[in-house]
Amino acid sequence: MKRRRSLLLCIAILAIVGSIWSYVLITAPPQETLDQREHDVASQLKCLVCQGESVADSPALLSQQMRAIIRQQLQSGKSEQEVIQYFVSRYGNRILWSPPWQGFTLLAWLIPIGLLLGGALLLFFVLRGWLTQANAASPGDGALTLEGMDESELAQYRQQIEKELQEVELDFQLGNLAEGDYRSLHERYTRRAVLATKSHHKHEQELDKKIEERLRTMREEKKNVHAKE
Amino acid sequence: MHFSDLGNISLIVALGFAIYTVVLAVLGATRNIPQLVASARRSLLAVTFFLLLASATLIVSFLTHDFGVSYVAQHSSLAMPWYYTTSAFYGGQEGSLLYWALMLSIFSAVFVFTAKRAPAALVPYIMATLAGIEIFLLAMLTTVSSPFVRLPAPVPDGVGLNPLLMDPGMLIHPPMLLMGYMSFSLPFAFAVAAMITGKLDSEWLRAIRRWTLVSWAIQTTGLILGAWWAYHVLGWGGYWGWDPVENAALLPWLTATAFLHSTMVQERRGMLKVWNLGLVIASFALSIFGTFEVRSGIISSVHSFAYSAIGGYFLAFLGIIIVFSTGLFIYRLPRLRPEQEFDSVISREGSFLLNNLLLVGIAFAILWGTLFPLISDAFSHQTMTVGPPFYDQVSRPLFIVLILAMGIGPLLAWRRTSTRALRRNLAIPALAAAVCAAVLPVGGIRDIWANIAFAVCSFTICAILYEIWRGVRVRHLHGEPYPLALYMLFERYRQRYGGYLVHLGLVMLALGVIGSHFFQVQQDAVLKPGQEINIAGYKLVYFGNIDRKYPDTEIITSQLQVWHDGKLQQYIYPGRQFYANFGNQPASIISITTYGLTDLYVFLAEWTGPAEATIRVFVNPLVPLVWLGGLVMVLGGIICWWPERRRRRVVFSEAVGEPEAEPAMAGAARNGKGPPGSSITQGVLHDGKDEHEGRRKRPIPSQLHSRPYALKDEEEEMEVASPYALKGDDEETEVAR
Repeated sequence: MKRRRSLLLCIAILAIVGSIWSYVLITAPPQETLDQREHDVASQLKCLVCQGESVADSPALLSQQMRAIIRQQLQSGKSEQEVIQYFVSRYGNRILWSPPWQGFTLLAWLIPIGLLLGGALLLFFVLRGWLTQANAASPGDGALTLEGMDESELAQYRQQIEKELQEVELDFQLGNLAEGDYRSLHERYTRRAVLATKSHHKHEQELDKKIEERLRTMREEKKNVHAKE
Repeated sequence: MHFSDLGNISLIVALGFAIYTVVLAVLGATRNIPQLVASARRSLLAVTFFLLLASATLIVSFLTHDFGVSYVAQHSSLAMPWYYTTSAFYGGQEGSLLYWALMLSIFSAVFVFTAKRAPAALVPYIMATLAGIEIFLLAMLTTVSSPFVRLPAPVPDGVGLNPLLMDPGMLIHPPMLLMGYMSFSLPFAFAVAAMITGKLDSEWLRAIRRWTLVSWAIQTTGLILGAWWAYHVLGWGGYWGWDPVENAALLPWLTATAFLHSTMVQERRGMLKVWNLGLVIASFALSIFGTFEVRSGIISSVHSFAYSAIGGYFLAFLGIIIVFSTGLFIYRLPRLRPEQEFDSVISREGSFLLNNLLLVGIAFAILWGTLFPLISDAFSHQTMTVGPPFYDQVSRPLFIVLILAMGIGPLLAWRRTSTRALRRNLAIPALAAAVCAAVLPVGGIRDIWANIAFAVCSFTICAILYEIWRGVRVRHLHGEPYPLALYMLFERYRQRYGGYLVHLGLVMLALGVIGSHFFQVQQDAVLKPGQEINIAGYKLVYFGNIDRKYPDTEIITSQLQVWHDGKLQQYIYPGRQFYANFGNQPASIISITTYGLTDLYVFLAEWTGPAEATIRVFVNPLVPLVWLGGLVMVLGGIICWWPERRRRRVVFSEAVGEPEAEPAMAGAARNGKGPPGSSITQGVLHDGKDEHEGRRKRPIPSQLHSRPYALKDEEEEMEVASPYALKGDDEETEVAR
């Protein structure tokens, strides 16, 4: 019930925003002043006598004249595209400030778009692979690789688990994690921590034995010294 | 023999030491002889010393106006103030190369001094890589591009610096950016060393992440300062023109940003190892590409002040880097088996993947746009320019999605997020975005893109602030006052909250960009005294021109009044400055006055005599947010980077009450660790449920460390709890012996 209400609320908000947008932006398109239109056209054209400036930005004389021509042509009723075409027919494509959507220069636009889509697709497949792998594996998996870790690696591993636990804890407290997820993640990490600690203890016990032995021999030596005295 | 020859000699000696470093470091590492590595370490410091000496020589030559040195004669003059004379050091081709070499060597020295913290097996290879890059720079400096070449006969006065470069912004912006470029060599060196040794453990990851953060922060500062310089000097009312050189500086920044995010996935999940290495290598390669582009002048740019023939060498160097690192990469690939652990797409790691896709996508689009004129020229013989409209259109949607992801990402937990929690957390930011989207069009913002962008920005700002607020609230509920709670949040979770601050800064910057991109108003007018310009609620009244002549410069300024809200605000004096040796290149003195968040930007375009001027006025809304946002970003970066204090915590167990006992026992404890059954380890072996109960009792995140099953610093705890420590003094000292 509650869920349905929030859904309705969402739809209502979307409808309000949508209607405002369609009213303000689409049915009542803004009246552009001549200045704005001139600027729009001029910023599509490159200033041929300057470096890296558009006709709109450039203070050069040629650009001023071009702006005057743009203004004149717009006033005479030409569309913005037609004015741009006028300049292209006079100066060629090099006057355009961005590559046109045709012929060879179409590549300039298509390749980044294509690669981005390709990247997204690749990501999708990689993710799907990971998810199926993760589902196939049992949750306690990560801890099975503990065999063969040396002491420093083990310490790092435990440090990392602690960081994870800390992060899980914070996320739960912030309300980013649901109770159930929190419990299962927490349990997973705790299990790993236990495993890591167990294997740490195995190392420790071996060390302990050595130390005990060493101490014993030292004590014996001490006794011997005392005995001699 | 001249004083400047000292510079040449030091460069040659430094080159010798650099070669020596590479040989010894590699020999020492492969034959496992620590003495050789130690010697390489000292020799790397010697390189730093001799480069410092060479730089000092050049600066002294500048300050003593030794015009017998060609570089000094080309880039300074007697009339320049001392600070511009000093900054002329990196004002030209040869000097900036020397500056690069110096920066690299200083970074190397910093690395050598902090090498204890880096994984020991990697140190020699890192030093070898750094010295290898240094060899390239020094070889250039001693042969084709020496700043110490002498003229046949000294000239009486030098040419002076390009007027565009004589600006306070220029004193800090190029050195920052050049330093940023160079700093990417450290992460690169770490990557190379890791690929050679095959040791890509978490210690390595931590080190490389921190160095990348340093590069990132420097590069961010450099970019912001560059934009600031362009805004204050170039006079076209903007700060970012998608110029090839600007793009080149942005590219490594983008890949480094991607790396800083995906490295967290590797840190926590062991995934993306290959990808991360690729990003590090790409960042360095792109920074070299950037310099190549600036140097070679193959792509025309407003920022190229130092053309020369050495571009080819940089291209060759770039080729070597790419071939070398790709080779290593392929060689190492079989051992880079990722540990795949992926629970859900709707998780922090999922959002990082999206972030990487977007950032790399933007980087590629920009690189492609930058290179396209060359490609077009080669294949279809068309001269083509790829200007701002292209970059705007391609990158705008990507940046908007990126900002949206910045709002959603922090709300996602690692591994998985319950959709219910997500919906609850998203509700308030989404509401803010909806309000923004509903109010702004009514308030007169008519552009669709501007509306979308503002709505997305409000969403993200709200999401980040809400996230911080929830953190503060959790801590506050456990008894901390609000300011302390906020401070502790940043203190305990530096990476996380520092990152949020960076995001906040970026959104502020984005707001500034949107404001100035969509709502900039511009007007040109030829004015006679008494005439005025009315623009966007501001009125400017022109009075006349003032001409001031100095021995070496001439300054022309126009006097104008600014009226706003019916009141006289102030007088402004936009102008031009002529330098004797650059008569046809007057520098602009742009008047920028800020009213609230709006900049009034006035530029003197033309003038005739004392009583006529062509004034160009821009009203740039929200631009101050760009600088403020940049500042916040750098601050956030520093917080992320700030070293964490090693918390040495002593557990007061019943048996050992005195923390002072610890140091004395350290020796004993190194050998004897706590046996199973000590109080701490029992805590670890508790099952999950009990701990959950425990959490309810003392759940302040900061106390996580002291929870019974905390694992960090356990060794210290165990030291104290060690049974050998309890057996009395004489035995203890015995073991320590």
